Amino acid sequence: MNFFELLQESWPMFLRGLLMTLELAVVSLVIAMFVGLGSCLMNISRFRVLHWISQGYINIFRGTPLLVQAFFFYFGVPKAFGFTLNVFVAGVIALSLNAGAYLSEIFRSGIEAIPHGQMEAARSLGMPRRTAMLKIILPQAIRIVIPSVANQWIISLKDTSIISCIGLAELTMMGSQIVARTYMSFEVWICVGAFYFIIIYALSKLSKFLEKRLSLVKSADKEAS
Amino acid sequence: MLKVQIKKLHKSFGPDEVLRGMDLDVQEGEVICLIGPSGSGKSTFLRCINSLEQPTSGTVVVDGDTITGKHANLDKIRENIGMVFQQFNLFPHLTVLKNITIAPIQCKKHSKAVAEAKARELLERVGLSQKWNVRPGSLSGGQQQRVAIARALAMDPKLMLFDEPTSALDPEMVGDVLNVMRELAQEGMTMIIVTHEMGFAREVADRVVFIDEGVIVEQGPPSEIFTNPQNRRTIAFLDKVL
Repeated sequence: MNFFELLQESWPMFLRGLLMTLELAVVSLVIAMFVGLGSCLMNISRFRVLHWISQGYINIFRGTPLLVQAFFFYFGVPKAFGFTLNVFVAGVIALSLNAGAYLSEIFRSGIEAIPHGQMEAARSLGMPRRTAMLKIILPQAIRIVIPSVANQWIISLKDTSIISCIGLAELTMMGSQIVARTYMSFEVWICVGAFYFIIIYALSKLSKFLEKRLSLVKSADKEAS
Repeated sequence: MLKVQIKKLHKSFGPDEVLRGMDLDVQEGEVICLIGPSGSGKSTFLRCINSLEQPTSGTVVVDGDTITGKHANLDKIRENIGMVFQQFNLFPHLTVLKNITIAPIQCKKHSKAVAEAKARELLERVGLSQKWNVRPGSLSGGQQQRVAIARALAMDPKLMLFDEPTSALDPEMVGDVLNVMRELAQEGMTMIIVTHEMGFAREVADRVVFIDEGVIVEQGPPSEIFTNPQNRRTIAFLDKVL
């Protein structure tokens, strides 16, 4: 069997794996963004309890490997409480909590990069803290963190391959199965790698586009001219 | 009528006592210039008036509201107190017009149309009506500061605080900003201004307050303070800056 016969024969499996990887990544990252933002707002809250909860969460999920987290949510938790968990759900939980911890810190660094005078100016106009955060601080922080967030997305997208270890039939798992059947490991892993590369390349282009689109300098020039 | 009443104001940052018991009454329409060496506490004093710094002790009453009270509604009270910063602090992600309308729309629930009409009027007044749709980043320092003044005025404040409004400006920009402030003073706005512009203080202020080491050392009409200062610290300071 040559390379083209391999593709011809195995493309439905590649496609299924690819779709599962995308599904896992998109669902997990959307949840991770909310988890990260929530955790970040708790982290910078004046209420110390919220801060400590968020800090504990970040420390635990940054301080342990994703593989261990996946095993814990797929095997450990259901075993302890006597239920079974769908492998996709377990994968989403592990991946979104893991990425959420990193995103939380990325968001915090973005918020802290906004000069203190912005909050002061907003408060001096009579804006409540919440309004100031929502209308003044966050819109500016988002622009700053786009490259770091995109970077985290890329990392998490690649981390979906780890979820194959608990048995989710995503791209890497499909690759293993095709290799087991065809023994063409060189060609198969090149294909699998190429698929990851294409998605991630598209994602980094999207990030560059957003960065440019939302840049303050650029839009100021455009409006002035 | 008494607009601002400050009694026994103390402020410490850790072990450093920056304000050591300050009292000041300001009448409606009065223009007060706070002068003094850097590090004397004049900016901290100003920031205590709208509670951007929380005083360690003492009371501040603005237009009948005790802002230092335990249950004071800070946001509501601050709507009455405009503030202009040394670094302008315009919102860089919003156009000039939105910088001015955001607080009236968010806090006073004004409609967009009403807020924008008012904003255009204010921009006209500070001489920047052409610039309504640009972002602050493309304006000069002096223009930014005039937008900042318009932004504060959009809330119809009863009192305006200025924290060294011209200190970050190129010399040729200072005049435009001072002109706007001068007009504001003539219209009867109650103003408290921290400034190093002694010429401006002499011309516009009803009262000049000299602050050093966290206390009010001497105060009076500019004609007296500048020509016939009594305290030796005032004399030493004016000697250096005049």
